[in-house]
Amino acid sequence: MAKVRWPLVVRRFHKWLALIVGVQVVLWTVTGVYMVVVHIDTIHGDHLVRAPIAEPFDLAAVTPPARIAAAAPGASELRLQRLLDRPVWRVETPDGAALYDAASGARLAPLAERAIRTLARRIYAGRGDIVAVRLLTEAPLEMQSRAPPYWQVEFEGWNRPTLYLSPMTGELISRRHALWRVFDFAWMLHIMDYEDRTNVNNPLLRIATWSALAMALSGAWLLLWSFPRRKKKKKAAA
Amino acid sequence: MKRIRLSPLLFRRIHKWVGLILGLQFVLWAFSGSMMALLDMDEVGGHDMAMAAAPPLPANAAFIDPAAIPGTGPVSGVTLRNLAGRPVYELHTARGLRLADATNGAPVTVDERIARAVANGMNGAPIRSVEALARPNLEAREHAGRMWRVNFADEANSSAYVSAETGRFLVMRGDTWRTWDFFWMLHNMDYVGRTSFNHPLIIFVGLSALWLSGTGFYLLFKSFGRADFRWLRRRRPAPKKGPALAP
Repeated sequence: MAKVRWPLVVRRFHKWLALIVGVQVVLWTVTGVYMVVVHIDTIHGDHLVRAPIAEPFDLAAVTPPARIAAAAPGASELRLQRLLDRPVWRVETPDGAALYDAASGARLAPLAERAIRTLARRIYAGRGDIVAVRLLTEAPLEMQSRAPPYWQVEFEGWNRPTLYLSPMTGELISRRHALWRVFDFAWMLHIMDYEDRTNVNNPLLRIATWSALAMALSGAWLLLWSFPRRKKKKKAAA
Repeated sequence: MKRIRLSPLLFRRIHKWVGLILGLQFVLWAFSGSMMALLDMDEVGGHDMAMAAAPPLPANAAFIDPAAIPGTGPVSGVTLRNLAGRPVYELHTARGLRLADATNGAPVTVDERIARAVANGMNGAPIRSVEALARPNLEAREHAGRMWRVNFADEANSSAYVSAETGRFLVMRGDTWRTWDFFWMLHNMDYVGRTSFNHPLIIFVGLSALWLSGTGFYLLFKSFGRADFRWLRRRRPAPKKGPALAP
């Protein structure tokens, strides 16, 4: 039987594996570099919104929470906050969040488009104007992780900054912009879940990662083998 | 001592060693990525636990007016919630966060008993031990302030983190998460904080890896020849041996 020529076998193995996973390895490095180079705080859009200012409340003018809790059975949490300078009680109920006017104690109706526009302008830290306001009842691709309905407020600008506000409480749910959308696409390519972009355990990714590891290890073996080994040569010469 | 000379040999050596280190990180990325793909993300957890349904406030409880709680001063936030079966007010005062019983205004401190009860709301397993932490450890690094670590005697060696300031459940960590976190550290190269993937080292190594995979991909087209695909045509009659086939 012929002697196995290991360098040749490993080189063939490395080459064929590279042919199969090569494109994905390039995609991993390209998307990896994008995710590493653009800071995650920028991706999250921290620069798009103003930090809320905490001002003291005049508790004497606020409806005591006992009345609100009685009006909302099953509530798990009541929080005093502001809606356009007006103190409101935010009530977390089994059916979702609701607002109660803290002065009168009356339950507030869902917010109308005008109020959403005013709120969005206050939250947004950029200068551009609002381009479009829509009440969404179906989640767009960039909001797959959140259950609708919500208001989508789009601002002008190259990166199309978009704020998502809750119709019940007016709170900011999410912010999206072009760099986030590119990141999300890069993440999809990185984890190879082309449908939901969330499953990091999908079989395709598992096969591709272990193949890439085998390719990298065989490449490392070839690299080490290609270094000249003086000691062995000396031995051979002796 | 030998003097360092700026010779081509020196640069060759640097080149080789940098190549070796880069190659090692390439292997580590492939390995840690493979392991993270293998570890069940539901068992790793840590993300959606806080979203579990909060217990409702007790019905028929007589909540006092938060304005009647003595010694609070101006407050910039009031929250009424259920803390381990007891309704409490969470008050943001000028001197920091305060908890008060919502039925009588008495101050509440999150002691070990409360921490145990909150933790048990998230995990029914028996509790092995409870530790007080003055600041977050590596497992609870996404949170701030004093906290309790409640260790469970379950298969995953789960630890629940409960804020000692608000009494809120922060996060649950188990052995699968701990394994995952080690590989995540190898992946993001933040060996101290384990969180950042935007530091200069990974940017530098990442760009170098891009070069490595880019040139490797180019070489792929150079290293495959007709001979590599000969096996695909094996069914055809073998060509006669002759000088035309000599390399």
